[in-house]
Amino acid sequence: MIAIADLVKKYGTFAAVDGMSLTVEPGEIHGFLGPNGAGKTTTIRMIAGLLQPTSGRVVVNGHDMAANPEAAKSSLGFIPDRPYLYEKLTAGEFLRFHGGLYGIDGDGIDGRVREMLDLFELRRWEHELVESFSHGMKQRLVMAGAFLHRPRAVVVDEPMVGLDPRGARLIKDVFRRMSERGVAILMSTHTLEVAEEMSHRISIINRGQLIAQGTVDEVRGLAGGEDHLTSVFLKLTGGGGLQEIDEAV
Amino acid sequence: MNAPFTFLLAPHLWSMRNRARRRERGDLLRASFFGVIGLGVCGALFLGAFWLTRQLAAFEEFGDYLLRLGLSWLFLTFLGFLAFSGVVSSLSTFFLSEDLRLLLAAPIPQGRLFLARFARTVGQASWMVTMFMTPVLVGVGAARCAPATFYASAVLTVVPFATIPVAMGAGATLLLVNVLPARRARDVLMLVSLLFAATLVLILRFIQPERLLRVESLPDIADFFANLQSPVTPLLPSFWAGESLFAELQGGRDLLHGAALWTTALACTVLLSAADRRWHFAGYSRSQEAAKARVNQLKAIDLVARALPLSTVQRQLLVKDAKVFLRNVSQWLQLLPLLALVLLYLYNFRTLDLERIPYMSGFLKNVYALVNLAMAGFVLATVAVRFVFPAVSSEGAAFWIVRTSPISLRDFLWSKFWTGLVPLLVFIEGLTVTANELMGVDPFLKVVAAVAIAFMTVALVGLAVGLGARYPRFGADPTEAAGSYGGVAFMVLAVLYVTVMIVLLGWPSSMWLFSRFRGIRLSSVREVFLIASFVSAAALSVATSWFAMRSGVQALERMNR
Repeated sequence: MIAIADLVKKYGTFAAVDGMSLTVEPGEIHGFLGPNGAGKTTTIRMIAGLLQPTSGRVVVNGHDMAANPEAAKSSLGFIPDRPYLYEKLTAGEFLRFHGGLYGIDGDGIDGRVREMLDLFELRRWEHELVESFSHGMKQRLVMAGAFLHRPRAVVVDEPMVGLDPRGARLIKDVFRRMSERGVAILMSTHTLEVAEEMSHRISIINRGQLIAQGTVDEVRGLAGGEDHLTSVFLKLTGGGGLQEIDEAV
Repeated sequence: MNAPFTFLLAPHLWSMRNRARRRERGDLLRASFFGVIGLGVCGALFLGAFWLTRQLAAFEEFGDYLLRLGLSWLFLTFLGFLAFSGVVSSLSTFFLSEDLRLLLAAPIPQGRLFLARFARTVGQASWMVTMFMTPVLVGVGAARCAPATFYASAVLTVVPFATIPVAMGAGATLLLVNVLPARRARDVLMLVSLLFAATLVLILRFIQPERLLRVESLPDIADFFANLQSPVTPLLPSFWAGESLFAELQGGRDLLHGAALWTTALACTVLLSAADRRWHFAGYSRSQEAAKARVNQLKAIDLVARALPLSTVQRQLLVKDAKVFLRNVSQWLQLLPLLALVLLYLYNFRTLDLERIPYMSGFLKNVYALVNLAMAGFVLATVAVRFVFPAVSSEGAAFWIVRTSPISLRDFLWSKFWTGLVPLLVFIEGLTVTANELMGVDPFLKVVAAVAIAFMTVALVGLAVGLGARYPRFGADPTEAAGSYGGVAFMVLAVLYVTVMIVLLGWPSSMWLFSRFRGIRLSSVREVFLIASFVSAAALSVATSWFAMRSGVQALERMNR
């Protein structure tokens, strides 16, 4: 479970995240939507323990991220928007190292690494250097790392960027299976179709504040019963600019 | 994480192993080139230290005194360097390194992460000092026929000696990052550390250590060393390290200073660890904030570019390259040590005392003019490989913008050529003309050198831009690009080219000067040879530049296929 309460992050006088509260229950896929600069990545970084909140609380599986970061991180998987990988390591070496960070070593690690490489269709490249990987392969390798230690909660920043349709389908299947096993997934995305298709609940944020939350149908209701999530999103986040674009073009 | 902190160093060790295992094209050439240079430098340091220690041994007690002082000064010189290096390295390892996102999101106990990062910082900040000190200390030990314990003691001395200033530097960084955003702090620190390095070179130059080699200045030596003494010296780790090693050289032990080194190093590590526990996360959080530095609009560049007779595309490429370069502090800061070296170079020519050999001074001055030309050629090659060769690589991931725009790749590459040529030509012409003026060389040679260096600049800039386009390293740091296969190939070709040019210019110039000194008129055959040599040098320069550029354009065009 992921729970954030009254989370604030300020840069000087500018509040990137302003009093955000949110709960992702076990087994739930929670879509986290918002326009560029709304504060999604900042929120996700605070949940992952990469950024210190100005105030508020982040709790992962009952562990407070500020008070007990190691325990909170042990049960969390983090998939960043831009996958950082050690370019001169092989895929296998990277996952073994990643496993070591989460205390998986000895006999168990090799089997688990192969399992993850199989799951993310990377087994053929186990002994290839990461620098020779395409963006999609790197993305899948990062996900393999994030799920390697069997996290009970996962935060994902833009999971589908750079993936081909097969890769995207694979990731969706993995997320669904993880959710069926009780993993709480908070997924930030710009792809509204993905959010609509996969999320049990969604949250829409704008200017650092939560402006809508609920199931897709509930959020549609908030926007006056619009059919498409895109229209709901634009209505809630101020999409009037589209008309101006029409005029300008 | 249950593993010891050394596990966190594994990715770097595995990466190094993988890099060593998987050979890339040009590895052998690169390894041979840098290996020969490295061995040459180590050999020179060893021989220098060996020779000097042997010379000092001849002066018995005074020699011992100088050696003891010299060891302390050797360590003192590096103390400041290590502290600055610690500041800059820790900024990267503790706050800016990209793998921190992975590591900080993992459940790693903070103490272990600290130890791993600190070990990496010490290694990163001190490897150059260690590489430099090893041949020097081995040279000193060999000259004094030191026992094996001297070498073991040297290792046990250098480790805590390096740890102390690096820990202090890392502490300063921790403080600074909590005050300034890290990216801004890095710019400030790089400026300070490079100014420090440049000042050090200049100070060393202006205290004129070469005067110690002159017999007539022997009475000044005591004053010279007295000036280097200071009341705070015994409180510094450099003094403790020097004393420990000197005791070993004498066949004794100095446990007091050895213990002072180790206890201080451990205390620094413990204190830094506590400070890290308290302030690291806050600093790391701040380091992710975008640098709120004011963006300098650099309007002067727009104005200058507008005044130049360039097409719109050429003008925009020029403005873009100039602004990108000037806004990247770490790039242009590297010009500071270069400036220091240039001042040093000119200062050396100014102090060159050729009048001590009166009958030869006229001839020597003119030989030095050719040496100056060769040196200027090598300086030019070094500057070109660092600043001009990476011109295409520096487009990085944004190169698609140029490739998808309606610009011919030929225009693009020639724009890079002109952007590199103009500043380099101004710089190197200034250097050559000033040096020849300071030496008072023959007017004929002044003209030859001034024209020749212009042709050499055209050739080397063309070669650098062309090879840089042929062997680009998109996304690599410019320093990495300069050390790549293409960069090394450029250096090899540049050295060959400069050598050929010196032969082509030196032979006819000397012939002409000899004939003038002796008052003999050159035969017409020799005159033809003289003109043919100069024309060949000019043709070689133009051809080198043109073929390299053509090859570069072709290589860029092949990328689109």
